[in-house]
Amino acid sequence: MNGEMSVIVRTITRFVYGLIVVFGFYVIMHGHLTPGGGFQGGAVVATAFALLIVAFGAAGLKGKLNDHLLQSLEEVGALAFLVLGFIGIGTAFFYNIIANSGAVFGSPTPIGPNPGFLNTGGTLPWMNWAVGLKVMTGLASVVLVMLVGAREEEET
Amino acid sequence: MKKAVVFSAFLFVAAFLILAGAQMRPFGAPTSPLMDDYFINHAQAEVSANNVVTSIVFDYRGFDTLGEATVLFSAVVGVLALFRKLREDER
Amino acid sequence: MTAQAVIQVFILVLILAGGILAVWLRDLLAAVIALAGASLLVSLEFYILQAPDVAIAEAGIGAALTTAIYVIALRRTRRKEKE
Repeated sequence: MNGEMSVIVRTITRFVYGLIVVFGFYVIMHGHLTPGGGFQGGAVVATAFALLIVAFGAAGLKGKLNDHLLQSLEEVGALAFLVLGFIGIGTAFFYNIIANSGAVFGSPTPIGPNPGFLNTGGTLPWMNWAVGLKVMTGLASVVLVMLVGAREEEET
Repeated sequence: MKKAVVFSAFLFVAAFLILAGAQMRPFGAPTSPLMDDYFINHAQAEVSANNVVTSIVFDYRGFDTLGEATVLFSAVVGVLALFRKLREDER
Repeated sequence: MTAQAVIQVFILVLILAGGILAVWLRDLLAAVIALAGASLLVSLEFYILQAPDVAIAEAGIGAALTTAIYVIALRRTRRKEKE
């Protein structure tokens, strides 16, 4: 058994995969405006990775989805989150120092109900991206490594 | 003997749960309206984000999110360590 | 009782049924599917209670990824529970 599922599953996966990834990145990107955030969007993108891994098998993805790269990216996300927490250490741990300062993502938001503007939020969008990167690569590498370990155990 | 212990434990937990359920707050009532009102009124000015939930998760209660990230990190490292050993053995 | 309360009670009863099925079924693959269905209904209940953040997380983690990990683990172990 080479680990691939049937042609129906593979075709539907090719159609749906991109849509799930785009939706997940939308949830991460608009985390400070709409419901959702880094963790939720990362979980959605990891679901797309899991669909890809299950449909094509670990052997069919060799060279395309590298588990060493995924683990390195997970650690980069964790470190970025920690560094973003330490940025505001002058006032307090996790102090939002970029908010209302005019930097990237730093313009003030109008008070009261408004449609929401992407260039607001201070450290929140950066943290959303860090946590999203961490969650999506971490969960994807768990599924990938478990599937590869199970397959190799089966063959022997 | 074993059956009696299991049955008494079941009775104890069931009585505890029924007692806790009878004394619950009304459905949907918040625990501390004072805190909620502060977050709802000040989050937009202080954090400059529309989503109050995200501003609580990443700003007011950022330390909590750090703990959650640590839990996920240790879970991933545990799974990787387990299966890495399994792969090393076969070579 | 309003219509929303009736829907909520219906969903909660279905969640309870899914949980009981997950414990009661001897076929572990079917138990995993029952758990995934209960998780999806929990996500729907979160959405009705106006917590879309938690609903997205529950649908992604509980219904999809946990099921995938359980199925991968079941491939390496027995499918039937020991009597």
